[in-house]
Amino acid sequence: MPDHFLGVEGVSVSFGKGEARVRALRAVSLLFERGTFSLVMGPSGSGKTTLLSLLGCLLSPDEGTVLVEDVAVNRLREVERTAIRRKKISFVFQAFRLFHSLSAIDNVALGFRLRGGRQSERMVMARDLLNRFGLGAKLHQRPNGLSPGEKQRVAIARALAGNPPVLLADEPTASMDYQAGRNICQILRSQVDEGGKTIVVVSHDPRWREFADRTVVLRDGQVEQEVKNP
Amino acid sequence: MKLAWQNIIHDRVRFLCSVLGVSFAVVLMVFQGSLLVGFLQAASRLIDASDFDIWITARGVPAFEFGATLESRVREIAAGVPGVVETGRVSMAFAVYRKPNGKQQIIGLVGADPNIGKRFPVPGLPGLAEVPSPDAVLYDESNRDQIEVTALPAEVEINRHRAIIERQIKGFGSFLGLSYLFTSYRNAARYLGFGPEEAMYILLRVGSGYSVSDVQQSLRRRLPEVDVLTRQEFAHKSRVYWMIKTGAGGAILTGAVLGFLVGLVVVSQTIYANTMENIEEYATLKALGASRTFVARIVITQALICSTVGGILGLLVVVPLVDYARSLISWVYTPWWLPVAMVVPSLLMCSLASIASVRSALTVEPGRVFRA
Ligand SMILES: Nc1ncnc2c1ncn2[C@@H]1O[C@H](COP(=O)(O)OP(=O)(O)OP(=O)(O)O)[C@@H](O)[C@H]1O
Ligand SMILES: [Mg+2]
Repeated sequence: MPDHFLGVEGVSVSFGKGEARVRALRAVSLLFERGTFSLVMGPSGSGKTTLLSLLGCLLSPDEGTVLVEDVAVNRLREVERTAIRRKKISFVFQAFRLFHSLSAIDNVALGFRLRGGRQSERMVMARDLLNRFGLGAKLHQRPNGLSPGEKQRVAIARALAGNPPVLLADEPTASMDYQAGRNICQILRSQVDEGGKTIVVVSHDPRWREFADRTVVLRDGQVEQEVKNP
Repeated sequence: MKLAWQNIIHDRVRFLCSVLGVSFAVVLMVFQGSLLVGFLQAASRLIDASDFDIWITARGVPAFEFGATLESRVREIAAGVPGVVETGRVSMAFAVYRKPNGKQQIIGLVGADPNIGKRFPVPGLPGLAEVPSPDAVLYDESNRDQIEVTALPAEVEINRHRAIIERQIKGFGSFLGLSYLFTSYRNAARYLGFGPEEAMYILLRVGSGYSVSDVQQSLRRRLPEVDVLTRQEFAHKSRVYWMIKTGAGGAILTGAVLGFLVGLVVVSQTIYANTMENIEEYATLKALGASRTFVARIVITQALICSTVGGILGLLVVVPLVDYARSLISWVYTPWWLPVAMVVPSLLMCSLASIASVRSALTVEPGRVFRA
């Protein structure tokens, strides 16, 4: 019996009205099993980010159902969806979206704070996470002083703070060089293997195939192809 | 809350600009307000300084400065009205003043009976007891440069009559840009060439047990050809005249109103822009599951810090500034309530702007976080 942990069923999303109307997703159904690593690919404008926004409770579909831990989240009110995001879902963005005035450790501590971490423990846990990602020497750097790869590791640490089960990433390696990107891939893979996380990565970068359990290809708002990686 | 503080500390330049914006607004509002309040006060200062209840003026006199003479019988009739227990006379007219050095100038000459009021500048009042002659002439210290007397007493001429300036007084600076001289009614009537019983303003005191408005009504019936006003009414009329009917007053009023509005706009704009600066981070916070109160608290903390620091800085700047202005323009006046009255709407605008910013920060669509 398939695990309905995370997924969409028959969702359609369109933006704009009349002439300018864009159908970003058309009747898409996709399930993501617990503890798996999925890669979503497809040409620009194919609806990848839209799909991720649905899974992340940031957007409601015009039609269809969005499931997070078997709950149809698209019927919930905004407050409830915020609570789901807080408890279950974390994000990694192409543009990092770190808080510019906070140091690396404070950024991660804020992640703990948002997920209800106790004040006394936040800094310790933030330090641990950053140490694990090889940022022990840069704890008190502000984002400005970090390389793209380092920023993304801080962002991943912030996303993992408080241990949410789902991690959604949109082009997380697009703005970094080969080695830094590979490093990010490895970190996320280990989160699935060791942490049992469910990860969905959207990327144009074929290198991710090597790390993902499955690849979904979208085209024109529909699933074109779904392949299990060996 | 750390985020709020860190934003401020990290973006110091931006914070400084916001603080300067808010303090500029406070300075502008309080300063323009002081001009307005001071001008209004100066416009009726001599009327307010009398302690009589009713002023009788020639028909249609718009302000203290523009009196016309009344017939002598007005005073007699008024004195006979039940309830009137005392009468006094005040005159105000422009006259030619000849300085000790021979230069001539137009001045406003105010003459009053000695009973007119303890605060009214008249020689021979108890407070000015050391002035020997009841016919002495007084001037305000703010007009020293125009009066140009080097030592007191000084012999001068007013309308070609010999006069002795004996004293410098305080607090009766004129806002007309020309100096006032104060003397006894008798003396002023002589300089101005009034007949013995002609008067310009007749002031009446109403006895206890009588209502001022009743007495005013019976005076109006007896004296239909003149204006019978309570002190407050005449003061109000004078202020309205100077404020509305003259270019200078209009300019000051417009300045104050504009200063107030511009101040409010600057405050709210500053606070709002401050929030918009970080709107992307609020979107991130929301995407990460921050509650509405969490985001709102950060926005409001920043707005509060900014407006408090800006407001205090503004007040610290405006107090010496108004003091300095007073040394140039004697009638500028900041009553204690003015800064309060300006700070309250500023805080209100700050709050409104914060609420607007909070709304924007809260309605920012978290979905935008994926747009690079
Ligand atoms: N907020 C929006 N308003 C209007 N149109 C939108 C919005 N978001 C997405 N679209 C449109 O929906 C379609 C799908 O967008 P989406 O961002 O999901 O594509 P994508 O696969 O992520 O593309 P890319 O690889 O360029 O990031 C596009 O045509 C896009 O222009
Ligand atoms: Mg995209």
